[in-house]
Amino acid sequence: MKFLVQFIAYAIFAAIVGLLSVWPGYQLLPPQRAVISLTISHAGQRIGECRRLTQEELNELPPNMRKPSECPRERHPIRVELQADGKVLYETISPPSGLWSDGKATVYQRLQMDAGQHELVIGMNESGGGDGFDFELKSTRELAPGQNLVIDFDELQKEFVFR
Amino acid sequence: MLALLQKAGRSGFSVLRRLLAGGFSNEASPLNHLGALTIFSCWIVLISGIWLLIFFRTSVSGAFESIEYLTKEQWYLGGIMRSLHRYASDAAIVTILLHLVREFSFDRYRLKRWFSWVTGMPLVWLVFALGITGYWLVWDELAQYVAITTAELLDHIPVFTESMATNFLSDESLSDRFFTLMAFLHLIGLPIFLVFGIWLHVFRLSKPRINPPRSLMAGTLLCMLVLSLVFPADSQEKANLAVVPQTLDVDWFYLHVYPLVQLWSPGWVWVLLVGVTLLVVLAPWLPPGKRLPAAKVNLDNCNGCRRCADDCPFEAIRMMPRSDGEAYDLEAVVDSDLCLSCGLCVGACPTSTPFRSRSALVPGIDLPDLSAAALRESIKKTAGKLEGYDRVMVFACAGSDALSKHLKADHAVVNVRCMGQLPPSFIDYVLSRDLADRVLLAGCGVGDCRYRYGIEWTEQRLSRKRDPSLRQRVDNQRISYGWQTDSPTGQEAGS
Repeated sequence: MKFLVQFIAYAIFAAIVGLLSVWPGYQLLPPQRAVISLTISHAGQRIGECRRLTQEELNELPPNMRKPSECPRERHPIRVELQADGKVLYETISPPSGLWSDGKATVYQRLQMDAGQHELVIGMNESGGGDGFDFELKSTRELAPGQNLVIDFDELQKEFVFR
Repeated sequence: MLALLQKAGRSGFSVLRRLLAGGFSNEASPLNHLGALTIFSCWIVLISGIWLLIFFRTSVSGAFESIEYLTKEQWYLGGIMRSLHRYASDAAIVTILLHLVREFSFDRYRLKRWFSWVTGMPLVWLVFALGITGYWLVWDELAQYVAITTAELLDHIPVFTESMATNFLSDESLSDRFFTLMAFLHLIGLPIFLVFGIWLHVFRLSKPRINPPRSLMAGTLLCMLVLSLVFPADSQEKANLAVVPQTLDVDWFYLHVYPLVQLWSPGWVWVLLVGVTLLVVLAPWLPPGKRLPAAKVNLDNCNGCRRCADDCPFEAIRMMPRSDGEAYDLEAVVDSDLCLSCGLCVGACPTSTPFRSRSALVPGIDLPDLSAAALRESIKKTAGKLEGYDRVMVFACAGSDALSKHLKADHAVVNVRCMGQLPPSFIDYVLSRDLADRVLLAGCGVGDCRYRYGIEWTEQRLSRKRDPSLRQRVDNQRISYGWQTDSPTGQEAGS
């Protein structure tokens, strides 16, 4: 009797441990759906123009701190919009990072959409004004079920990349 | 509300204890060793992990293949080790959860016990971090999901300027260094903190149960081993960042909040995690519980015998060099910051005897608010209420629900803080002075004692295995144990 109770107790414990370690399964992505991973890490333009210092202003500065021009540190936020088949799928405004708002703005978003052919338009405004985009890319893509299409911004080439 | 929750918890454990009673003795009941069982699971994880480490390759391409080799090619050892590694980790979560609920239900987390409670919470986080980094290292589809979701969670903390999740956009963007970092965290960094955390967790406890009984260790190991053989742990498809897996076999012990990241947002998941953590950490002060005065040493009657220090479950009594010039070497000193006023020291003090009549009953150590003298007066007063041929005096422990279960109309009750507060000489006093025909001790279930060792020390004292023990002249047949989880008739003392 003692060993039977022990056997049952250990069997229940093992069943709980074994079962919940893999079951129930989790559906991460429904069938016939794909994912677009949008990722941008980009510093917007500075909010103002750089200005050359006058000779009087330079004279007031310690010799080791005299630089010819002064630029505002703060940058514009970036506005990003992703359209699919003429409809806005995602849009956001991301502020610059850093205590002085002078760092890069980042956008990271995973979006689900139906698999199949889509006309995608990605645009980014970094200068703060108007409805237009400073960078834009249009592309028609065939998304396979389960595909992860990455839309990245190449900082060296200053252009969007579909991967 | 709190009392209701605790009572519900105690009832649940009472049912569980009854179910397990047929297979496990009180000493070897898993419910009495939940913390120790967690540590034992950690030992299994450590030893199996060392074997896995020997074959593991910390690179994007090598991680999955090396685990596959262990699972498929070396299934007879590496595969079993891998399964043991997983299942022991999962078992640790079960025992941690039960341990936490049990300590809450038996109110063993408030007042001066806050330290063990609060230091337990970082251990929970560490165990989860170990589990999550462990799944990451396999680098299969589940690891891919874990990596991306963890990165999304961490990206939400406003201290990282660059997005960590961008490391997992494509296989090309993934670096071997990430695996080196994960391996370091999983194999060295987090375990070091875990060991230190466990030490801190039991720091204020005397005689902490670090290891479960051997029979329990053997049973648990065998159980994990059979599970590993019958249902070996396996990887899912190799990670491919260009594809999102549709369905995953998720380890719900470790990854239960991960689906919420997609369903809600990383921010709300953090609110949930931080909220639950804060609630648990602050629980000892919600509400704080009634503070009781610490035990007081009466040097005139303390001969430095050490019994109180040996029996204190909370390291609250230290033996120090004598300060009053008496001929004894040592004296007991109570640390009021650690003393829970349980009275186990009073029960251990040989000078705590109610037979003393020439001088006042002032034992070497006593509780200011429930003194041995007051206890003797209470016994005398209660005895006056008893009449008939079977007069039963019940000593009831304040922390248990046993009294309502065992009390009959003609019983008379004397309250003690904990059963361990009652020196055996008081039972001798009741029976030899004919104040009652029988004595019933109504206390917590064995292992459920609010003050850890109250029931254990009492049983040992009454069965004459621990000092101060019950005098031989006392007939044990006249003493019944009415522990909460026992049958209403109780159990014969010493049997």
